[in-house]
Amino acid sequence: MTHIAIIDYELGNVKSIINALEKVGANFVLTRNDSEILNSDGVILPGVGAFSHGVSKLKEYSLDKIIIQYAKQKKPLLGNCLGMQMLFTESEEFGTTQGLNLISGKIKKLKTLNSSFRKLPHVSWNEILEPTYLAWNNTIMEGLNSSSNMYFVHTYAAQPDNQEYVLSTTEYSNYKFCSSVKKENIYGCQFHPEKSATDGLLIMKNFVKICKEFQDG
Amino acid sequence: MVRNYETYYGLPNKVKFCKKCVISNQRPSSTVEFKNKKGESKKVINFNNDGVCSACVFHEEKEQGIDWKVRDKKLVDLLAKFKSEDGSYDVIVPGSGGKDSAFTAHLLKYKYGMNPLTVTWAPHLYTDIGIKNFQEWMHTGGLDNILYTPNGKLHREMTKNAFHNLLHPFQPFIIGQRIIGPAIAKKFGVKLVMYGENQAEYGNAIEENSNPIMNMDFFSTDYTLLMRFGGVTMQEYIDSGDYTKADFAPYIAPNKQDLIDSGVEVHYLGYYVKWDPQECYYYAVENTGFEANSERTEGTYSRYSSIDDKVDPFHYFTTLIKFGIGRCTYDATQEVRNNKITREEAVYLVEKYDMEFPAKYFQDFLTYIDTTENEFWETIDNHRSPHIWGKDAEGNWKLRHTINANGLDD
Amino acid sequence: MNKIRIISRIDVKNDFVIKGIHLEGLRKVGKPNEMAIKYYQDGIDEIIFMDAVAAYYDRNSLTHIIDQACKDVFIPITVGGGIRTILDIQNILNAGADKVAINTKAIKAPNFISEVSKVFGSQCIVLSIDAKKKSHNKWEAYFDNGREPSGLDVIEWAKKVESLGAGEIMLTSIDAEGTKKGFDIDLNKAVSEVVSIPVISSGGAGNEEHISNLLNNTSVDAVALASVLHYELLSIGSIKQKLVNNKIKVRM
Repeated sequence: MTHIAIIDYELGNVKSIINALEKVGANFVLTRNDSEILNSDGVILPGVGAFSHGVSKLKEYSLDKIIIQYAKQKKPLLGNCLGMQMLFTESEEFGTTQGLNLISGKIKKLKTLNSSFRKLPHVSWNEILEPTYLAWNNTIMEGLNSSSNMYFVHTYAAQPDNQEYVLSTTEYSNYKFCSSVKKENIYGCQFHPEKSATDGLLIMKNFVKICKEFQDG
Repeated sequence: MVRNYETYYGLPNKVKFCKKCVISNQRPSSTVEFKNKKGESKKVINFNNDGVCSACVFHEEKEQGIDWKVRDKKLVDLLAKFKSEDGSYDVIVPGSGGKDSAFTAHLLKYKYGMNPLTVTWAPHLYTDIGIKNFQEWMHTGGLDNILYTPNGKLHREMTKNAFHNLLHPFQPFIIGQRIIGPAIAKKFGVKLVMYGENQAEYGNAIEENSNPIMNMDFFSTDYTLLMRFGGVTMQEYIDSGDYTKADFAPYIAPNKQDLIDSGVEVHYLGYYVKWDPQECYYYAVENTGFEANSERTEGTYSRYSSIDDKVDPFHYFTTLIKFGIGRCTYDATQEVRNNKITREEAVYLVEKYDMEFPAKYFQDFLTYIDTTENEFWETIDNHRSPHIWGKDAEGNWKLRHTINANGLDD
Repeated sequence: MNKIRIISRIDVKNDFVIKGIHLEGLRKVGKPNEMAIKYYQDGIDEIIFMDAVAAYYDRNSLTHIIDQACKDVFIPITVGGGIRTILDIQNILNAGADKVAINTKAIKAPNFISEVSKVFGSQCIVLSIDAKKKSHNKWEAYFDNGREPSGLDVIEWAKKVESLGAGEIMLTSIDAEGTKKGFDIDLNKAVSEVVSIPVISSGGAGNEEHISNLLNNTSVDAVALASVLHYELLSIGSIKQKLVNNKIKVRM
């Protein structure tokens, strides 16, 4: 039975993730226990709020080390929203803060990427576009139409150093930013798949499927 | 400790609250106001053996026992009797353009095809929202109206007397308001007068509810000079030298036999149509340009009930003093019966708002009745029945019994 | 330009959906969870649940409704009405909601906005402003569900809440709401021009032209609908299609 661990660090809309996993039919546990996490078939790192606050909470429970250790096992990992951001090297929100550095790159405010942004946070349904160099087959995006709508609410976005990791781009105010990433077993979604209606639930379902496939070897 | 306090107004000595709504057994029934004299005993709302008030009982009956299709047929038949064929007015609708009269007049005209003339006995002191809604009633609602404003000098003196003698400042107004319908009907040769709600909704004698026709005693008499206004007879006003009989023209109730002979009938629409004050609000907004007030009315949570007269809050403040029943209790009681709020919520609201003093128009009211603040409070305090009010350790007036059982003696 | 969000606003009292006019009146129009699921299936972008009488009774009591709604409905959910403490917000988020809408508490203690936006993040904090027109281009903010005037000018207040950390503003015109006669365009224009956080416009929609008119003449980011949906005057599909025909971007 595929078992997914949702990281519990007192931040993030875990209930939404739980509801989504129940809907798509998955076993899960909300935990910060190291062996439960390391032994699971898949890990979801949720998150809502400020980067520095998130990272300090992870550190408080030594979850930063555990997640890094888990990732080394090459088992599937999914970071949603703030969870995706924390996978990166550092963020410039409220001063520079170091992240988990599982994916090399910086988190920057959407504004600085392009000064023609008018409204922040970016709160809206927006289309995610399949990149030319990374097909969605066999990823969490499998089965989605390119330009499916997902729900975004964020002020900061990732700039991966390596373009190959960009799993989807999204356009906001005439500027394209990275809306999801894939680096081997590690996935990140800037948007909230658990809040993006049926298309979002499909992503969650795909992630569970990937965990199962990995478990089956 | 149970003490037997003196009880004013002939009210029941023991204060009780209805088990279903939040009214108390001190609530007076409607009276023939121009017979009202100082020191009279009040008839009050009836409570049955289960501790439920008659208005709640009536409401249950209304919910279950009445076939409104049958009542509608009765209405159609009634209206057919009076409908004019020559474009003349065929029904008088007394009211101010508040939600209830707005509903009544508009419905009669636009659903039932009658030709109503609305008649307004002017508020003592119009509020801005009151004038606005009144005009919208005509402009948006598409109705005709006569606004009848009685001699202010006399009306003010009557109101002053009513306040000091009866602690019932609205008494002269109520007299005029009840008379104007039938009086105008007689003058225009219209035979049907239609009011909105039946007072029994709120606890008058149950027999009145099975009768669509308003008791003639409310608006007719054979002995005009003995009519009392503010507890003072018309004869006494005239004897004072300040007024003549001519000044009383607006208040002279039509002669009973005259009314009977001219075939005037006064009905309640609430007998024929299932009455829901909140639905009247929605209807009025959607059809007659009615707007709720932007502020909560003092003494209650409501924003759309009776908002056109600056003196109105003092009517309710005096019911609080005499009967321990404030405005919020009246509003909440009605909404509990109509299933808009639960009894628990009503209790909460009453506790929160019932005792609130209507400060906004206090100075206007004092000026209107030519009374100083000291005089005002002296009269108020003289009318607190000892069985309802007592003083706490700091010397503040407090209710002995409240709906939440946290009064002085609870 | 963002896609405009079409939001359903559901006012709840004692487990019933109610709909008033000018924020007054408690007429029952349905059951909250049923309506939420229906709108979700019809393609609504977000749902806002307002506890319609929390102001009266000093409490917010929607958690059991939110809890159930979040199991069936996978779009963002905002909850408002009677939110006074950090614990209130925590409870609502724990039930599965994404954002909270705050009005009365913010007016009485503006620093509450900065406090909770630090704890939960700005994106979680929607500032609800109930506006009543006072004179030409001047509106006053009301609290306690449209009952008490605050003395605050709406435009100034909107700027202030943004500076304190609010993530969005839900702007309700008390004059227009429930009337189905159209939005208060001047109000929406004035507020959306002075803030750079998203503005949700609420109050007044009666037909599709009203909505297009609003979006073409102001820079609001979202529209909250109540009467038109609850009384089934319009369908979500037809609203969105008409907007697309009018060259307004929405999620289809």
